[in-house]
Amino acid sequence: MSDLAVDIRDVQKTFDGHVAVQGLSLAVPRGSVYGLLGPNGAGKTTTIRMILNVIVPDRGTINVLGQPGGAKGVTDRIGYLPEERGLYRKMQVRRVLRFLGELKGVTRRDVDRRIDEWLARLGLTEWDQKKVDELSRGMQQKVQFIGTLLHDPELVILDEPFSGLDPINAQALNDTVVELRQRGRTVIFSTHLMDNAERLCDSVCIIAKGAKVLDGSVAAVRAEHAGRTIALATANGTSDAVERVLADRSLVDSVNREQRTLEIELATNAPVQQLLQRLVGAGAEITRFEVVQPSLHKIFLQRVGAVGVTEGMSGHG
Amino acid sequence: MGKLGVVIRREYLERVRSRWFLFATILGPLFFGGVSIGQIVLTQHAGVSADASHIIVIDETGTTLGQRVVANLGAGVTNDTSNAMLQVVSRDDAPQAEARALNAVMHDKWVGYLVLTDSTLAGATARYNGRNASAIQDIDHVRDVVRNAVLTERLVGAGLDPARIRSLTAVPIQLHTERVTDKGLGGSGMSGAWFGYIVAILLYITIVVYGQSIVRGVSDEKASRVSEVVVSSAPPDTLLAGKILGVGGVAITQQIIWTLASVAIVHFRAPILRALGASESANIPLPGSISLGAGIELVLIFLLGFFFYAALFAAIGATVESQEDAQQASLPVTMLLVLSIMFVGPVFLSPTSTLARVVSWIPFSAPILMPLRLALIQVPLVEIVGTILGLLVANLVAIWVAARVYRVGILMYGKRRSFAEIMRWVRVS
Repeated sequence: MSDLAVDIRDVQKTFDGHVAVQGLSLAVPRGSVYGLLGPNGAGKTTTIRMILNVIVPDRGTINVLGQPGGAKGVTDRIGYLPEERGLYRKMQVRRVLRFLGELKGVTRRDVDRRIDEWLARLGLTEWDQKKVDELSRGMQQKVQFIGTLLHDPELVILDEPFSGLDPINAQALNDTVVELRQRGRTVIFSTHLMDNAERLCDSVCIIAKGAKVLDGSVAAVRAEHAGRTIALATANGTSDAVERVLADRSLVDSVNREQRTLEIELATNAPVQQLLQRLVGAGAEITRFEVVQPSLHKIFLQRVGAVGVTEGMSGHG
Repeated sequence: MGKLGVVIRREYLERVRSRWFLFATILGPLFFGGVSIGQIVLTQHAGVSADASHIIVIDETGTTLGQRVVANLGAGVTNDTSNAMLQVVSRDDAPQAEARALNAVMHDKWVGYLVLTDSTLAGATARYNGRNASAIQDIDHVRDVVRNAVLTERLVGAGLDPARIRSLTAVPIQLHTERVTDKGLGGSGMSGAWFGYIVAILLYITIVVYGQSIVRGVSDEKASRVSEVVVSSAPPDTLLAGKILGVGGVAITQQIIWTLASVAIVHFRAPILRALGASESANIPLPGSISLGAGIELVLIFLLGFFFYAALFAAIGATVESQEDAQQASLPVTMLLVLSIMFVGPVFLSPTSTLARVVSWIPFSAPILMPLRLALIQVPLVEIVGTILGLLVANLVAIWVAARVYRVGILMYGKRRSFAEIMRWVRVS
């Protein structure tokens, strides 16, 4: 058995002359939480649809759960929560869930038991005979989420799962992702919210304009981009002398001022030691001077900002 | 149960459980039964309205023709002849009399006026102007009365006694018709005709109603984005097939219920008609003349036709998201159906003609017109086989095209697609 849940190699997809995904290679380890990050229109949804075999790549290979894309039975082992969520509005909650479960190959007997468990867990038990459009938006999202996980998939793909979630549902989703990982399931989710990705993901891939910008474990990515950012705190604020040091462009590239901490971006090739010496020399009473690893958010802006955002095919990544 | 089965079951059960289905299934037979029984009752009660006798008869022939017309003009439920007014005028006074009559009709004092001239006496023309000039039965009645009066006038002129004329000319022939098939005599011709007519209309309604249901179903799935989840679980072709078969099953269920209800109505028609004060008539649409074999052929041809149209409607549904767009986009396919229904009349009147043969071979119109012919006449086996083969080929093409359009269409959101773009999906997908 391959230790990769998803193995994408040099995949290309073009729609009407617009390149949605170009030369993309991804390796998603089994049992990990993997973040697919990128601005809107980066090709995230297209990539996910290719993993699901809903669309076929023009070039390249995709292996999912050890089998080539489109192999029989693979889709039954994947749970998918699309960005554009939707359920049959006129159907009863239980019937929709039964349909989604059975479509994934769960037997009639099992499906009702699992629906009961999930409804109880998310506090929807008394709503199972109601029609979907009688439910609030938040409840509909829970139902959709149950539909994604009802068949206990080995690979769970969540496309922008946090968009439109209220804080309580977002926390529930958070907890579920953590629990899925504990049970050895693989979770891929796409997002443009870096905080979520940083908190939840083991590994990430940042894509922009249909191509990979960088990928790897979150720790490795951050370590790779470390060393240029310094967190500085002083007991006596910033005197004119200190400000003059910070304004020296041969030493400091930029300063991000937060409540009590300054986030300093070192200029290229400027030694850390020199900055420290100059600050001490300027009379700063330093309480914190730390070479920090940048946040994913920062790395994202740094790397994708250069590539920019392109127009999406249909408003999807 | 396979994925196809899961999809079929959802499509079938969700529709059969709907209030609309219950409503249509119960009201359908009541409506059609009501229409056919109502027709019989109405024809027997009042073919010609009382208006037909509420007219002025201007007689400028100088004979007793006007008298005879007025005496026989009785119409309506009461058959009252006293409603008509006779004006015997000279030829010179005729224009003034007509002007007065026109004025009276315009002021709603009379319904119309009839002018009898020498030309009438010669058997050529008479004139009638009235508010009911478009009421076919009224006008037929007036013409019949004038014709009989002229005939009587001539026979009296030839020296015949009026009583003798009545007894000689009273020949109310009723033509009893019976169909001949390879097996011999096969049921009342006219009742078979009406049965065929009703079958054709029912099939048309079924295809239109359930075709629209498919368009709505697919475009709703797209608009609500359910298609996203569903296509990630089952291949689009399976979804398309499941939808068509599921909806087809609903249509068949409804037809079976309707057929059983119709059989019951036909079975108990005598007491029903008696209760409504009409006698049992030969005109009630009876399926007695259709053989089991023809029945099976009818169902097969209809099913193939249904699937053909259903595939086209599903493809259309996949290209649109809103109900308004769905209406517009399905117009071309609906037009094909309307064209077919336009041929029901001609085929009904002469089901053995070349026109009838041609239109019952064309896949677009075959599912409506071939069943009509099957109910009317014994269609040669070679034609039936030809129609079925034609429909099979048409189905393969339609399903192939539909599958491709569907596959691409259900995940394309936003603006409505042009025909050229949809054709590109067919080519490249």
